[in-house]
Amino acid sequence: MKRSWYAAPYGLWMVLFTVVPLLFVLYYAFTDQSGAFTVNNFVKIASPMYGLVLWDSLRLAFFCTLLCLLIGYPTAYFLASRDFSNAQTLVVLILVPMWMNFLLRTYAMMTLFENNGVINTLLESLGLQRIQMIGTEGAVLVGMVYNFLPFMVLPVYTVLKKMDYSVIEAAEDLGASPVRVVSRVVLPMSIPGVVSGITMVFMPAVTTFAISRMLSSGMIYLVGDMIEDYFIAMNNRNVGSTISLVMLVLIILSIGLLRKVDPDNSGGGLW
Amino acid sequence: MIDETRLIEIKGVSKSFGDTQVLHDIDLYIRKREFVTLLGPSGCGKTTLLRILGGFEMPSTGEVLFEGKDMTGIPPYKRRINTVFQKYALFNHLNVFDNIAFGLNLKTPEQLGCKSRAEMKQEVARRVNRMLKLVKMEGYEKRSTNALSGGQQQRIAIARALVNEPEVLLLDEPLGALDLKLRKEMQLELKAMQQQLGITFIYVTHDQEEALTMSDTIVVMNHGRIQQIGDPKGIYDEPRNAFVADFIGESNIIDGTMLQDDLVRFSDTEFQCVDEGFAKNEPVDVVIRPEDIMLVGEDVGMLRGVVESVIFKGVHYEMIIESNDCKWKVQSTTMQPVGTRVGMTIVPYNIHIMHKMPVLKEA
Amino acid sequence: MKNRGHRAGKLLKGLWLALVLAFLYIPIIVMIALSFNASVSRAAWTGFTLDWYVKLFKSKQIMAALNVTITVAVIATVVSTVMGTLGAIGMHAMSTGMANLLINVSYLPMTTPDIVTGVSLMLMFIFVKVPLGKWTMIMAHIAFDTPYVLFSVMPKLRQMNPNLYEAALDLGCHPAKALYKVIIPEIMPGIVTGALLAFTMSLDDFVISYFTSNTDQNLAMIVYSAARRGVEPTMYALSTLMFIVVLGLLLIVNRRNGLEEIA
Repeated sequence: MKRSWYAAPYGLWMVLFTVVPLLFVLYYAFTDQSGAFTVNNFVKIASPMYGLVLWDSLRLAFFCTLLCLLIGYPTAYFLASRDFSNAQTLVVLILVPMWMNFLLRTYAMMTLFENNGVINTLLESLGLQRIQMIGTEGAVLVGMVYNFLPFMVLPVYTVLKKMDYSVIEAAEDLGASPVRVVSRVVLPMSIPGVVSGITMVFMPAVTTFAISRMLSSGMIYLVGDMIEDYFIAMNNRNVGSTISLVMLVLIILSIGLLRKVDPDNSGGGLW
Repeated sequence: MIDETRLIEIKGVSKSFGDTQVLHDIDLYIRKREFVTLLGPSGCGKTTLLRILGGFEMPSTGEVLFEGKDMTGIPPYKRRINTVFQKYALFNHLNVFDNIAFGLNLKTPEQLGCKSRAEMKQEVARRVNRMLKLVKMEGYEKRSTNALSGGQQQRIAIARALVNEPEVLLLDEPLGALDLKLRKEMQLELKAMQQQLGITFIYVTHDQEEALTMSDTIVVMNHGRIQQIGDPKGIYDEPRNAFVADFIGESNIIDGTMLQDDLVRFSDTEFQCVDEGFAKNEPVDVVIRPEDIMLVGEDVGMLRGVVESVIFKGVHYEMIIESNDCKWKVQSTTMQPVGTRVGMTIVPYNIHIMHKMPVLKEA
Repeated sequence: MKNRGHRAGKLLKGLWLALVLAFLYIPIIVMIALSFNASVSRAAWTGFTLDWYVKLFKSKQIMAALNVTITVAVIATVVSTVMGTLGAIGMHAMSTGMANLLINVSYLPMTTPDIVTGVSLMLMFIFVKVPLGKWTMIMAHIAFDTPYVLFSVMPKLRQMNPNLYEAALDLGCHPAKALYKVIIPEIMPGIVTGALLAFTMSLDDFVISYFTSNTDQNLAMIVYSAARRGVEPTMYALSTLMFIVVLGLLLIVNRRNGLEEIA
């Protein structure tokens, strides 16, 4: 009657298809094309060119996360406030795009940003100059914010919603102005949601590859694009693995750092 | 009523979970058609003992015999024992009828004395309806179990177990979740059912009143050990130690010294009693029920004291009387106002002398 | 005074939310509208047409991708639902230490970036010389789908009265029979939610499929390769249909237990 054995196929599958593949990344990162041990891959990607790509990715991901926070936090706060009787519907409306394939969303963005796309057509009909948007960092950034915004709204909203509303009333009762209520009460209490929102936006943002390619026609080149090229176009899986490994480590480190802000991981994360 | 044959024998059963031993060397036999109650405070091991009988736990050592045959390793689904669980454990995806029919439907037509599937279906319906009648739930066949009250769910749980015609029914605090009035009704109904069906009931409760009302035999347990086995009256009148005396009903438990056979000293006074066989000057626990202390005039009492408080309890008054730095709980139908000086007498056979029980202090 | 300020505040909040919703939905609405536009150009509306949809269903490449997408999603959902449910039941019966270890492994595909998951699986398949196609895609999908099933079923098991299983044994069920007669029906809502989630995730996946399949393409991969060539109206039609299907599935899941819980 060992029911725990029912989990054996699951455990086996997860080890075989998640743990073991990651070990392959480790293996390829430390070998050359012939399979011999080497650290040359790391030496290679330590060059300024790779550093620049990494820097661009981190910078764009940082600004994307910041914008998502600046737009997403008030959105979540307003949704969680009791001002809107149809808040539940609004929340669903904001979350639905999150489940739409990001390629489709990016494709939609392309339609707007193209040189003879919707925005430029509109500008022209108003007698204004066309603007070159595709290929600019701005377009990629807007595309990323567009894709990842719901991932910020959701966890912040969940935490704010769970917050006891009488705490705010108590603060108001004690004479706190609306600004102070937010800065002294709401903000500190919502830190766990903000932390998991930052994780959920920053991680996919820093590793994205299709968004930048589609919205910049390849002019803006991020780490994700580089990994894609090494694996698909250049067929150099060793260097590709090395970049993946470095990025994975960076992400694990940054998540670890964020967890320090919210040690009990109480944010409304994925689950 | 009770058959003298021993249906179940528990021999030297101990049980440990990790480092905690919850049952210590239990010896107990249960006769056919007996209503046995395992009584004790929470954590005394009564539920674990019941679960061993049901086959849900294995004893760490010792054995359990059923009609003389070892059944220690037999899984629950092969025992002719059924259980009524504390939180009912009804199957919410099935309606009332299918819940009760669950056990029967697992059997073959032959086992139910039927020749065909169709005939079995009728037989199942017949038996389920008989059970619904027994638990007074006719007409509820098609109801969802979620739509039933706690008391109704409990009746269905009982019917679901009894329909399998078990030799023994195990009941784990089945009335714990019901309100007081319903609980009292169900106590009487359960007792009536047990007598009508002639099935052995093994009943777990922490409610001493429930145990006294329903049982043929009460097994008082504490800290994983049996403290006393006996019929309700015997347990109430002759508690074997201070724990039992305190747990069953209310008691005054005082330190005393056994001077010689039939003579004990407590509260600076010597009393005649009916207990023998103690060592000379052995320190003992003296147990006296509050209703066994008679209030008399101050000058004729064996003890003298002052009424310190009075509470009206419905049928009687409960008074606390201070005497020689000792507080006595006394029940009487006549009230003495606070501050009254009174005398108290106790007849010899109402004085119960008990060995001090060092083992009880371990918790 | 206060009341008026409050009303103004509410108006501002409403305006903010409207802007956010506009930002999120205008691109989608434009795309859906353009899928019915007679002209190839995004510049002007030249009349309503269903031509792009017709073209879509006539395209061999797209129909093949649709076939791959559905085959992969169905097989991955069935396998991951069975494996995830049994996994949850097994973990429920396990010691806490062992179960925690497995739960941490289950979080792994959720916390590893998709691109790393994708390339890691690609490396392994290439190393063991399995050709990258439909079947490697299915294996990868099972790996990221199953935790969703597991995490949908686990709470139902925790809520379940532990005596239910014992009651079934007590009434004469063998352990295996008790599993499907009592435990499975009891946790069925969790299983269905998990299966729907797994199916949606599988339909929707691009990154992991992209790295684990060469010969067979799913719909998302078609969208990507089309996007690299430039915008095509058939892709609007395809996107519109995919959006509607995923939206429909989500609404079903949402009706079962609220979107916030599953997000």
